[in-house]
Amino acid sequence: MMLTALLLMVQVAAQDPRLERLDPETRSLVMSVVDSARAVGLPSEPIIQRALEGATKGAAGPRIAAAVRRLATDLGTARTALGQGTSAPELEAGVAALRAGASPEVLTRLRDARRPPLTMALAVLADLVASGVPADSASAVVLALAPNARDADLVEFRRAVERDISLGAPPGASASVRAANTGIRFGVTDAAQNPPQPPRPPSRP
Amino acid sequence: MFDRDDDIVERVVRQLRQPVSIDPALDARVMEEIASDAAPLAAPRPWFRLRRWPWLAAAAALGAVLIARPWSGGSDSAANAFQFVLVAPQASSVSLVGDFNDWDPARSPMQTAQGIWATTVPLAPGRYRYAFLVNGVEWRADPGAPRARDDEFGTPNSVITVGGTGS
Repeated sequence: MMLTALLLMVQVAAQDPRLERLDPETRSLVMSVVDSARAVGLPSEPIIQRALEGATKGAAGPRIAAAVRRLATDLGTARTALGQGTSAPELEAGVAALRAGASPEVLTRLRDARRPPLTMALAVLADLVASGVPADSASAVVLALAPNARDADLVEFRRAVERDISLGAPPGASASVRAANTGIRFGVTDAAQNPPQPPRPPSRP
Repeated sequence: MFDRDDDIVERVVRQLRQPVSIDPALDARVMEEIASDAAPLAAPRPWFRLRRWPWLAAAAALGAVLIARPWSGGSDSAANAFQFVLVAPQASSVSLVGDFNDWDPARSPMQTAQGIWATTVPLAPGRYRYAFLVNGVEWRADPGAPRARDDEFGTPNSVITVGGTGS
């Protein structure tokens, strides 16, 4: 009975109806990536969504396959940096931070500096870089804010920097000045070299 | 010394050989005791040990449902409603598409009032990439949201991050 249920699960997993929007060859390639991700415990939903995005946007099959392979690789890198117990949203945000230019070491230090979930901190890091803040500066600022700032504080910080940038401020300077005004005493370089003491044990299951 | 011991043994034997009066109802009482003691020995097993395989099968089926659920769009149990707005006075149709609706333009058509297109979508905590599809052909990023850096398919995307219970 158990075996039957497991076989049913595998069969259902192999027949995700959403992927019927892909041509058969691309669908097969995507499913192989999805299966590989599941086999190592990585979330499959982001991979499926990336394939569906490509299908909706009319991308060619090889381009979709390359995108999902790259995403699976980056999810694995993010999990290595963030730990085995990292949630799917955290991994997705971690991928965004990595692609923005943050190093895996920054992700690991952020994990050690902040209680989970890390989704918002990682996302703000990625968004700051997307707004033009240099990756090193954005990493240092988020690492400095991470131990004590709430998610809402991080979002407000990002919005403030974006407002400054829209008014003509240099992105890196805006991030540094805004962070300094939060009462955190740090220089960008100092913060990178001397991260705050972690409020919790660094290991995660 | 032996004679004295023999005397004692003889008296014990005599005592043991005296007839014993037995209650005629003894047999019935003994059988009642046996019957009442037998109940605990044959006590019913706890409910969860009864018919083990059906319970395991039910648990396996539940597990299958839970594992299969991710592609049904995720749980809305912890979702909050988020409004998406695009100002596009010249557009004849606008759809919101993204990671939260399988990138299906039919799932979240936007409604217009004087060129302001809006729709509301429930989102659980997470990070979502999305875009607006204008007139069925033109992809636009959300001007009021951060841009996604990985526009791998050549069109702009925006991102929205929904926080959980972060510190």
